[in-house]
Amino acid sequence: MSLSHEREDALVQKLKENFPADIKETNIIRRARLEVTVAPEKIKDVAAFLRDKLGFDHPNGVSAVDYNRENRFEIVYHISSMRVKDMRDLVLDLKESVPRNAPKVGSLVSVWSGVENYERESFEMFGIEFDGHPRLEKLFLTDNWDGPPPLRKDIRFPTD
Amino acid sequence: MSAPPKPVPLTTVESTETSESGAQTLTLSVGPQHSGSGHMRLIVEVDGDIIVNVAPDPGYVHRGIEKIIELRNIIKSIPVIERPSIIDASNLNHAWVRSIEEIQGVEVPRRGQYLRTLLNEMNRIMSHLYWLSIYGVFLGHTTMFMWPLGDRELFIDLAEKLTGARITYSYLVPGGVRRDLPPGFAEEAVKRTEYFEKRLKEYDRIFFNNPLFTSRAKGIGVLSKEKAIELGCTGPTLRGSGVDADLRKDEPYAAYPELDFEVSTRPDGDSFSRAMVHMDEMRESCKIIRQIVKKIPSGPIRRKAPIVLPRGVAYGRVESARGECSFYLIGEGGDKPYRARYITGSYRNMAAIPAVLLGNRLADMPTAWWSIDYWPVEADR
Repeated sequence: MSLSHEREDALVQKLKENFPADIKETNIIRRARLEVTVAPEKIKDVAAFLRDKLGFDHPNGVSAVDYNRENRFEIVYHISSMRVKDMRDLVLDLKESVPRNAPKVGSLVSVWSGVENYERESFEMFGIEFDGHPRLEKLFLTDNWDGPPPLRKDIRFPTD
Repeated sequence: MSAPPKPVPLTTVESTETSESGAQTLTLSVGPQHSGSGHMRLIVEVDGDIIVNVAPDPGYVHRGIEKIIELRNIIKSIPVIERPSIIDASNLNHAWVRSIEEIQGVEVPRRGQYLRTLLNEMNRIMSHLYWLSIYGVFLGHTTMFMWPLGDRELFIDLAEKLTGARITYSYLVPGGVRRDLPPGFAEEAVKRTEYFEKRLKEYDRIFFNNPLFTSRAKGIGVLSKEKAIELGCTGPTLRGSGVDADLRKDEPYAAYPELDFEVSTRPDGDSFSRAMVHMDEMRESCKIIRQIVKKIPSGPIRRKAPIVLPRGVAYGRVESARGECSFYLIGEGGDKPYRARYITGSYRNMAAIPAVLLGNRLADMPTAWWSIDYWPVEADR
């Protein structure tokens, strides 16, 4: 397996050409692992571009990360491609940041319908609201749970 | 597809509603008591006996493992990570150590890689056999419940020889594996896999070629290729819809690049296809196990790995029995991860449940649903 980053560099290049102002940061972690941070208000356009033009048709999951010291949440869409066989080893992390005191972003269910459950989980576990989500309700937590979103960093376990 | 049904209280028969067209539908709660499938509930709306709406209601076995991992050091987390799917423990364990090693930059010795692959493939067979026995229960086929569980012992005993534990091994550690092959293991493994392959032929005769099964599974619960990709399905569910995606080939890890095996796919996307993918995979796993015991190189089984997780980020993933299991791991230099996002095959395939059930008859629900191999504990984490 070659260790060059040509493929990753080409993807970054294409994204930057099409969204010169909205791609805030790109980072190639290693071969086949790529991070792209975009402005939250443009994430839907970038996502649609990734799906339609670059072949990223397969959502692998969505992670939310609580950076409480920086007062922000990061939402990471892990996406890959099934259509382009040479890219099946590649996972692109599409990231956006929202302020911790107003965590509201646009949902990407209309782009990848498979992210519905993951966004629901980020909603209940971190309290992040996804605008345009078809069913923003609790997924794993019990219906009578009225505590704070439990995966936030400031929520401590009794034994912690 | 109409809007998902509203959350309803936990009673057997929930409510009757009249739709705009005048048709009366009935909302049923399937689960969450353990009906042979694990604790989870499906809210099913039927019109007559046609399923018109489905909403999975998971969470009955949610343990907050992502939070637990954040509070423990990376070694102590290994037994916790195995818990969501104890029948497929080593594959989940592998995803965890793979992501740790990626951040640490630790290379595993080749013998260690082979031993990891060996246990992974044994686990794949054990997990598929467990799935198959429950499938037998669901379809009212008592023999198909007893046989797979009995034959699973072949591999459980083998795993006990190798690791010292029957099901939850904690065998993979950062840097390699805990124990080397015991004497006489190779002969025993060859004997058992060869016997098991003969048993698989008998499974075919009594169950998979049986019209009682084929008539209930063919054409039932169809998931198209496009839909499976769009929903992010993975593992046998995706391959049963005709996508030849398998991380063991697409992103070869451990000893897989040096082993010869086929990725099994079926084009139809129905319950029968998904079931047959499981059967094919068990055969391939037997071949892989025999290759491993024959080809395993000598050398160390483990390299010393640091106990801290350096600053960095990794997305480590492996092909577990139910599909891709991955960790999005963020290290900040301590012995605990800053964040460990845990995404399992069952969680990903949850999205396929409504897709395969809609439009089918209620009586076909067990065949269609269980062909996804959805393991509630693994999905809830």
